[in-house]
Amino acid sequence: MEEKLSSVSKKFAPSPIQELSHLAQRCNAINLAEGFPDFPAPPYIKEAAVSAINSDFNQYRHVQGICDHLALIMKRMHGLNINPLTDIAICCGQTEAFAAAIFSIINRGDEVVLFDPCYETYEGCITMAGGIPVYVGLDPPKWTLDPDKLMRSFTTRTKAIVLNSPHNPTGKVFSKGELEVIAEGCRRWDCLVITDEVYEYITFDDQKHVSIASLPGMQERTIITSSLSKTFSITGWRIGWAVAPASAASAIRNIHVKITDSAPAPFQEAALTALRSPSEYFEALRREYQLKRDFTVKLLTLVGFGIQFKPQGAFFLFAELPTNCLLSDVEYVKELIKQAGVVIVPGRGFFHRESYLDQPSEESCSYQTRYVRIAFCKSNATLAAAALKFGELLNATGCPKLHY
Amino acid sequence: MQAQCNWAQLEMLRPLCFQSPATFSTFSKHFQKGSDSSFFRTNRRINKYPSFMAAISTVSTQKGPVSTQDGTSQVPHQPLQVAKRLEKFKTTIFTQMSSLAIKHGAINLGQGFPNFDGPDFVKEAAIQAIKDGKNQYARGYGVPDFNNAIAARFKKDTGLVIDPEKEVTVTSGCTEAIAASVLGLINPGDEVILFAPFYDSYEATLSMAGAKIKCLTLRPPDFAVPIDELKSTISKNTRAILINTPHNPTGKMFTHEELNTIASLCVENDVLVFTDEVYDKLAFEMDHISMASLPGMYERTVTMNSLGKTFSLTGWKIGWAIAPPHLTWGVRQAHSFLTFATSTPMQWAATVALRAPDSYYVELRRDYLAKKAILVEGLKDVGFKVFPSSGTYFVVVDHTPFGLENDIVFCEYLIKEVGVVAIPTSVFYLNPEDGKNLVRFTFCKDEGTLRSAVERMKQKLRKK
Repeated sequence: MEEKLSSVSKKFAPSPIQELSHLAQRCNAINLAEGFPDFPAPPYIKEAAVSAINSDFNQYRHVQGICDHLALIMKRMHGLNINPLTDIAICCGQTEAFAAAIFSIINRGDEVVLFDPCYETYEGCITMAGGIPVYVGLDPPKWTLDPDKLMRSFTTRTKAIVLNSPHNPTGKVFSKGELEVIAEGCRRWDCLVITDEVYEYITFDDQKHVSIASLPGMQERTIITSSLSKTFSITGWRIGWAVAPASAASAIRNIHVKITDSAPAPFQEAALTALRSPSEYFEALRREYQLKRDFTVKLLTLVGFGIQFKPQGAFFLFAELPTNCLLSDVEYVKELIKQAGVVIVPGRGFFHRESYLDQPSEESCSYQTRYVRIAFCKSNATLAAAALKFGELLNATGCPKLHY
Repeated sequence: MQAQCNWAQLEMLRPLCFQSPATFSTFSKHFQKGSDSSFFRTNRRINKYPSFMAAISTVSTQKGPVSTQDGTSQVPHQPLQVAKRLEKFKTTIFTQMSSLAIKHGAINLGQGFPNFDGPDFVKEAAIQAIKDGKNQYARGYGVPDFNNAIAARFKKDTGLVIDPEKEVTVTSGCTEAIAASVLGLINPGDEVILFAPFYDSYEATLSMAGAKIKCLTLRPPDFAVPIDELKSTISKNTRAILINTPHNPTGKMFTHEELNTIASLCVENDVLVFTDEVYDKLAFEMDHISMASLPGMYERTVTMNSLGKTFSLTGWKIGWAIAPPHLTWGVRQAHSFLTFATSTPMQWAATVALRAPDSYYVELRRDYLAKKAILVEGLKDVGFKVFPSSGTYFVVVDHTPFGLENDIVFCEYLIKEVGVVAIPTSVFYLNPEDGKNLVRFTFCKDEGTLRSAVERMKQKLRKK
């Protein structure tokens, strides 16, 4: 039996993240690592789910109303004309929508361009489908897109680009200009875009989320994926979707049916209620998350971080360690757990330097072990408690005393 | 112009690259960095176009025809060309039949889900979980209490003691358990044995994984396993065999003797077994046997099941895979990229469901037996040749007494002229010819519906 395992699997060693999770659990640390809320979901949406269960919406179903609502929303938000009967596939979360999208378009050997730092799950999915991930590094400190770097990453094998905006882990919202650069590359090289827009309603200051599909010539080559999870704080309900031109949407739907067959029925019903939420809901969402963002930025500044890039969206702060801190990201996170009882995520896992086109040196990418990600999708009580813990790191003169 | 991609080179390096979802946890990639980077350097040199071509080319002339793996030419695509693997994926027969059924007001004995609802105590548990705030991501491989309940139930059913933390993975229905097992454990080119007729997702996910399918047909009247054919098909090259028992669509249950024979062949040839046991609680004519409980088999078996059929909650999508740690690892890998986590409140409810007392299961069988009697007697009276079904809530019949040329034509006739839906079984075979005489009816409907359907058929279906 052992010989049948892959050679890679046999080299598996325990991950630093798992060890950190165990350490955090043992120390009962405050969790600013996990990217999901610790506050309740909106009551009216929970009521809708309860009602659906009671009304016997519990067998396999496809709730067409979700597609109808999504089409209306996409028209209103992005000016897109979507056919609710043919252009939308409802899936078990954005994760499954993305997986189905990848399986629907990626042949073995196809390349997929991703932007670094990058949410980890995309690559595993691409590779599982036989695709080849190709990373383009965004330039710190503001994670700007270098158009030349992007153009150089295209080859005849490039099938698609994955675009996550608002972005996990940096909180970047790709600007209209950057979207235009990406669009130009796609048109020139005849590539597709798969977007992950799960944080679409969480943008700050004057930032507005623009879907690349709304740019000229892009709707026909874009697969949009998103979900209810982050917008409505119901990450555990697994309701997501893919929106694409009919042929792709149909392929995605057919694949989805083979992977899971249907998204959870009662939550599809509740999705109707969620998608009908008034504009006040979304305004309040932005407002509250913006307050949390500001609080978290201030918090980190107080303990010596120089925040060069304030998140423009999503609910993560991706911060470079203070210059006078000689620890690596993993070491810092460990110390923070032990000394302050707060857990955050070391940034190195989001970087894929070895898969960059231009094979940069280790020194030029040394910043990649110097970032940490803090999630602020937490209740005010949690954030306040974290602030207290961080406060204890300051000595009598107000200087951070985290032992370096 | 640069040479096209050298496929031999890609193939040589493929195993390592393909295995990179072997990243167990999200951030540990140390063990594969070396191999991947050399792969990418090689790939770049082969494929890179001079930059001036990018500047002057227009969209559709950019790429010439590309040689694909099987040698066929891939034409430069319109903006969205779907993957080659999808050529077999069409809208399912179920959806087609259901649409037709609605159009004609037909009674639906086709699609395999109940028209009655699940038990209140399970629904209430889900409602309570939602109210208690259990609405965020569950642990990827399952809510701990639920994993415990699955292990406890498995022990009750098979006598096997398993580790819920290391040997149980919760998925969005058994459909996802199958997809995750296949995508996580089957490499491109691996040989996998399937028994036809089969649930349609098996073939689909196997082709997604690039497997080589070897199909053995179960034939009426008893749909017995063709042992000689199996012996000549299975070899040291076989990676896995997929078994669905109790079996959809035939209702066959694999006997102890059949399972033992398959088991010894698997041990001899070092073959994995994936079992789909979602109908295990709907075993009527004999006891259900889990392959994993046979000597030497647990270490090579992935046992899959779900909540939906047992508790009439097919839309909740709660399933699971039980396997030894080294196989669970592969299942969890794929699962983490397919759906990442399973519906949280439903897992809490499923925990309550799995702790249901024996009386629940006794009543379930009793109710289904009554329904089965109505349908089977009815179908016999109408004039079908009805094959014995030992388990599931399906029964397969031969429609040829009614003189129609094949199963699809028969089913269309049945909907339009008689007002009843059945499923043509040809879609469950690799070779559709094998199924043209057979159609599948389900009895997971309330008794009134079953009686009405039988009445309609008695009145309007005439032998030729």
